[in-house]
Amino acid sequence: MKMTIPLIAFSGVLATSAFAQDKTLTISVYSFAQDAYKEALYDPFEKICGCELVIETGNSVERMAKIEANANEPVIDMAVISSHDALSLARKDLLAPLDVSRIPNRAKLYPAAQDPIGGNMAVGYTFYASSIVYRTDLVEINSWADLLDDKLAGNVSLPNITGTQGPLTLMMLAKAAGNDSTDYSSVISSIGERADDIVTFYSRSSELAQLMNQEEVIAAPVGRFAWSRFKSSPLPFAWAEPAEGQAGGMNVMIMTKGNGNEELAYQFMDYWLSTEVQTRVAEALIDSPANTEVMLSDEVADNLTYGAELINSLSILDPAEIINSREAWVEQWNTEVIK
Amino acid sequence: MFFNTREGLALALPAAIFALLLFIAPVGILLSEAFQSDEGWTLKGYVDFFAKPLNRTVFLRTLKLGVLVAGTAAVIGYAAAFCIVNLSASARGRVFGLVVLPLMISPVARTYAWIVILGRTGIVNDTIVGLGLSETPIRLLFTETAVFLGLLQLFMPLMIISLVSAMENIPRDVIPAARVLGANWLQVFFKVILPLTKEGLVVGGTLVFTGALTAYITPAILGGSKVLMLETLLYQRVNVANDFVSASVIAMILIVMSFSANLLLKRIATARK
Repeated sequence: MKMTIPLIAFSGVLATSAFAQDKTLTISVYSFAQDAYKEALYDPFEKICGCELVIETGNSVERMAKIEANANEPVIDMAVISSHDALSLARKDLLAPLDVSRIPNRAKLYPAAQDPIGGNMAVGYTFYASSIVYRTDLVEINSWADLLDDKLAGNVSLPNITGTQGPLTLMMLAKAAGNDSTDYSSVISSIGERADDIVTFYSRSSELAQLMNQEEVIAAPVGRFAWSRFKSSPLPFAWAEPAEGQAGGMNVMIMTKGNGNEELAYQFMDYWLSTEVQTRVAEALIDSPANTEVMLSDEVADNLTYGAELINSLSILDPAEIINSREAWVEQWNTEVIK
Repeated sequence: MFFNTREGLALALPAAIFALLLFIAPVGILLSEAFQSDEGWTLKGYVDFFAKPLNRTVFLRTLKLGVLVAGTAAVIGYAAAFCIVNLSASARGRVFGLVVLPLMISPVARTYAWIVILGRTGIVNDTIVGLGLSETPIRLLFTETAVFLGLLQLFMPLMIISLVSAMENIPRDVIPAARVLGANWLQVFFKVILPLTKEGLVVGGTLVFTGALTAYITPAILGGSKVLMLETLLYQRVNVANDFVSASVIAMILIVMSFSANLLLKRIATARK
């Protein structure tokens, strides 16, 4: 890692120096739906602030590595990331606590989004439910336990442990087995015993959508953000409402420590959390809103994770649990499941 | 060729600087991490890597598939090359064109074709179920067989091309001469064709073996996370775990395997002289 960090840091300097102007805000975001974000969020914000947004995209690991590599002189001012990734950055002392008085729209968020990792180190901007997508003509899903049942043997896919969906599936399988603790070793063992019955462990929801549309897989857990890929298929897919309920996750906004551009970053965060932007982003079917005041048509809501009743019912895995246990989960998974 | 070596060096300098700055130095820096720890230079990365059963399995699987793909490609490649060099000039051009054609198609497209062929509703399973060999479709995707077939199809043209060009250099009358002198076809192959085409086999074997070792798309699509190979594992280490040390170790292992394969094939080829 010794030399890699300077290399990444160097690439960061190259990427940003080209935009060195008076008023710029550098944000680090997930790479999907950038055209839609530009229209719903970036362009309107640039008009309001009279500044320039520099957008850096990439997967979470790359983006986190970059924030870490530039810790002394941050090139990223604010980032959006999963709640557990945010906690891991906070533990490395790379984030600044948010001055919530400068984000008035935060008060409009669901309580779970207001301070998701403690110490005001982050603020949630979108929720997603996670449940099982299945073929209604071939199988019936009533419980998360059905995933490991004989009726799905050879036709089911599970998310890989290394992704965001993997730990959520472990949590729900444990719940289905009557285990409310966060010790998932017995769940991983039972997946290991059924490993031959599982078609593959997918890494991206687009990969799963393809497998299900090719009829390789007839049921699998997936995040609601991917639902539109299944909804538009000619095959009869349904979104399960298992007895144990649905799992949930949240993505959050963070402020890098000592970036010197806090003013603009707060303005941007507050704008993103406003009812106006959260509605626009939801209507473009990009992210489900975390703002309670957003009103959506039934048609739009059907594609998203929307409404107090649903959001309050989601089983959300404690971000600290993910960070503390992930290494042990991966180790056991590699020994017993992948082999 | 040049009036003096200084001119020659001057001409080579820009390319050398380019390669040194933009290829050798960055690769060297990345790979040197595989030998570093907080205490200095060490082989700890390798010891840790091979201590994990999953890593050993993945290493052996990669080696096994590389050897199997190169070996099968050599067997089929010799048969195909022998047919091609014995065709008339015009037919040879056409058939050779067909061999080269797949190389002009993206590996992604070629690999996706296998998903259609090997899938539950693909041609192979339709035939198996249609003939009553099995009641339900059998699992072919996400198995080592699928990765083997994908890699073989991907790299076979390289073996055929190498062997065709080697065989074209065999004098036309040596095979009839050997036959007249009483050699059977096996003897003709092992005592005449093989020694005369070994350079082609070394080139083809190295290309196919290293290609199979380092291909990423095919094992990722046809094997997925259940049939990890070194290169899919490398991707996982970097992009999921941000673990550059393991990734550098894997990269080093792949480089050593590629060079060893080439040296070994060359050694075998010279030993036959």
